[in-house]
Amino acid sequence: MDGGARMTVVHYLNQFFAGLGAEEAADQEPVRLDGPQGPGRGLAAAGIAPDVTLACGDDYFGEHEADAMATLLGWLDELHPDVLICGPSFGSGRYGYACGVLAREAGRAGVPVVAAMTPDSPGVLAAEGAAYIVPTGSNVAAMREALPVVASLAQRLAAGEPVGDAESEGYLPRGLRVNVLSERTGAERAIGLLLAKLAGDVRTEVEPRGDRVPPPAPVADLAATKVALVTEAGCVPQGNPDRLPTRHSNVWLRYPIADVDSLDPDAYESVHAGFDTTSANADPNRLVPLDAARALEHARAFGALHDVFYTTSGVDTPVATAARHGQEIAADLRAAKVGAVILTGT
Amino acid sequence: MESTLADLEIATFAVDEVVEGTQTGWSDRRLTVSLPQLAVGAGEPALAEATVEVVRPGDRVRISNVLDVVLPDVRVSDSSVHRLAGVAVVTVCDWLAAGYTDAQELPTSLIDMGGPASDRSPWGATINIVLRCVPAPGADAAEVDSAIRREAWRIGRELATVTADLEPTETITVGGAPGDAGLPSIALILQVASEGPLVDTFWNGEPLGVFEPRIVAAADVLSGSLTNGAYDWPGVRNVTADYQDSALIRGLQAADGSTLNFAGVILAPGYLDGATQKRLAAGSSASLAADLGVDGVIVTTFSSGNSHTDTMLTVQECERRGIATVALVCETNGGLTDHVPEATSLISTGNEDELVEAWTPERVIGGQERAAVGERIAAVHFVGGLVQTGDARWTAVPA
Amino acid sequence: MFITALPTIAQMVGANRVLRGVSITHPTGDPSLAAGDEHDLRVGIVRRALDMLTVEVEPGTVWELDG
Repeated sequence: MDGGARMTVVHYLNQFFAGLGAEEAADQEPVRLDGPQGPGRGLAAAGIAPDVTLACGDDYFGEHEADAMATLLGWLDELHPDVLICGPSFGSGRYGYACGVLAREAGRAGVPVVAAMTPDSPGVLAAEGAAYIVPTGSNVAAMREALPVVASLAQRLAAGEPVGDAESEGYLPRGLRVNVLSERTGAERAIGLLLAKLAGDVRTEVEPRGDRVPPPAPVADLAATKVALVTEAGCVPQGNPDRLPTRHSNVWLRYPIADVDSLDPDAYESVHAGFDTTSANADPNRLVPLDAARALEHARAFGALHDVFYTTSGVDTPVATAARHGQEIAADLRAAKVGAVILTGT
Repeated sequence: MESTLADLEIATFAVDEVVEGTQTGWSDRRLTVSLPQLAVGAGEPALAEATVEVVRPGDRVRISNVLDVVLPDVRVSDSSVHRLAGVAVVTVCDWLAAGYTDAQELPTSLIDMGGPASDRSPWGATINIVLRCVPAPGADAAEVDSAIRREAWRIGRELATVTADLEPTETITVGGAPGDAGLPSIALILQVASEGPLVDTFWNGEPLGVFEPRIVAAADVLSGSLTNGAYDWPGVRNVTADYQDSALIRGLQAADGSTLNFAGVILAPGYLDGATQKRLAAGSSASLAADLGVDGVIVTTFSSGNSHTDTMLTVQECERRGIATVALVCETNGGLTDHVPEATSLISTGNEDELVEAWTPERVIGGQERAAVGERIAAVHFVGGLVQTGDARWTAVPA
Repeated sequence: MFITALPTIAQMVGANRVLRGVSITHPTGDPSLAAGDEHDLRVGIVRRALDMLTVEVEPGTVWELDG
């Protein structure tokens, strides 16, 4: 079962493992070779033979990343592989980085990718979770152990078969969480975890993530700044004319407020499904503080109020969708030269 | 609380097989049911129609518009309940089809008896007596819901009653062991939500409403005092069966006197409307726990959204009082809904956003629309699969 | 900046300037106040929000309404 009749397997190697030379060939431009090369033969023996090998010098990739990537991705686009295997690059920094970047971009283009490198390799971060990365030892002595794991994952990915969780399969966590059936109920695990904690062994099954943006610099000159009002409290004109969803909203809307000094309860309402909207509907300024903002605008507390407000319903919205909304609204605000936002939420 | 007497004995009668017959009875792990004898729906004017049928694990059936799951049981004396194990009464109502537009907020709610997602709900593995109800036109939603809940309990009682004089297959006792000073003392903080009709929780039949955290008897929780009437996110909110057969209460009870002292149950509200109310309630739960003299608490969560803030604040208030905590929470694709630095020991009941393989069953009970036939659908839509009371086995791991 | 009655969730998702709002159901209002007082409260809230925009903050900073 190699890259069989209907499967195309592509293998990425650096100049050394592709047999093109050692350090002196580190400036090798990307090249496309037929069949397995170097460790690719080990992959073939492990059950998945590369049909095409792409190789690039470590230095060339490092110094001409955009060009190298354009060429490599162009080839991948022609070849349409069922799986791309990168490395193993072991402890190599430049090679690992190249593998990680290629893995990331190929992964984002829809190609399943398996790589192999040390857990500390810069390639792991560069891949940004887009590849299944098998952790290896730091040098080529780890090849024998790594290849069968790589081959097994690559075969299944190429065949579109499911791949299990990180621990069972032996790859580095990609930042996703998958559901598995434990042998014990959550209750049994909870009692066990609490007794362990009381005995000094503090463990957890889940932790908060970190993907942080540092705080932007403060507004330098508020009197010259345009401020916008944005809300996730589902504030819309009465009757919800554009049908903002009450939950799981995949849209955000904006409404003109240039001539509006206050959100009148007859003219606006909240359609957010996640809270009791009674007091907000009696006075929508309780969600979007337009009357107060207007008063402060007239008092020149800031430059100007943006002439639209933005709204969505933040209920059961997947984080990825909310992030996208944020980015889109931010783009709109930047185009309108808004310098600061007051976002209100429930 | 020291006692040498059990507060409650739950005698369970295992059911491996359900057959239909002329007379309801139980013997040798087989339940015979006379469906006509159950006379479902009779005497409930709020229901235009009520039907009952039996479905079994492996059937190529998807049950849709599931409201609640109730275990058939009957109180035979002050201190004894008889319960059938392996059978559940599943209530179904297609509110939308009946014209209750408010119910468009209620998510798709499924139990698959077969197919790739049959393990996504624990109730895919029980023999289910499915009570499907159609509301009477124009009937008040709360009254319809009361009628459905009454019918489910009545059916459960009628089925369990046949075991009255018989020998159980297993018995659980609640209460009994005197405290052991050498063992850590642990309480359960059980979070429920009472937000009005169709999103409600009941104590002895009455909606809890906005309530102060309070100590309740574990025996009462197991014997029907606490019942569910909340039909929001099925995967992560509780069903009545999760109270009747509470894995946490049973587990703490089983360990009582050997690895811990089970100090009791605190009932706590989720979804309080303001940060101050949330903080105060969390503080009350923590104070009650402190009054019980516990070393640690296990905190459960009801459904998704800002109830997770109630959970985290409760964890924080307990930890600040020197009480060790473990909390049960589900995850989303975006990670945890809320967190506090003190929440160092969490049980994950799984990622509610994970998409589950599509299935086309041979039959859908409860309404084809919103049954997601042939579509991938998130794990949160399968009843009880990710319940944050720890009654199921799903969890999430790195991938 | 972000006005919300649930600042811990806001910190969780990475908001850096957070002002604790009055309540989930009325972050920038208080129906228990007389109309005039409520308007004053709201102007005070927006002022505080503007203040927050003009100062340096550590990541995940939460301000109370009275600070």
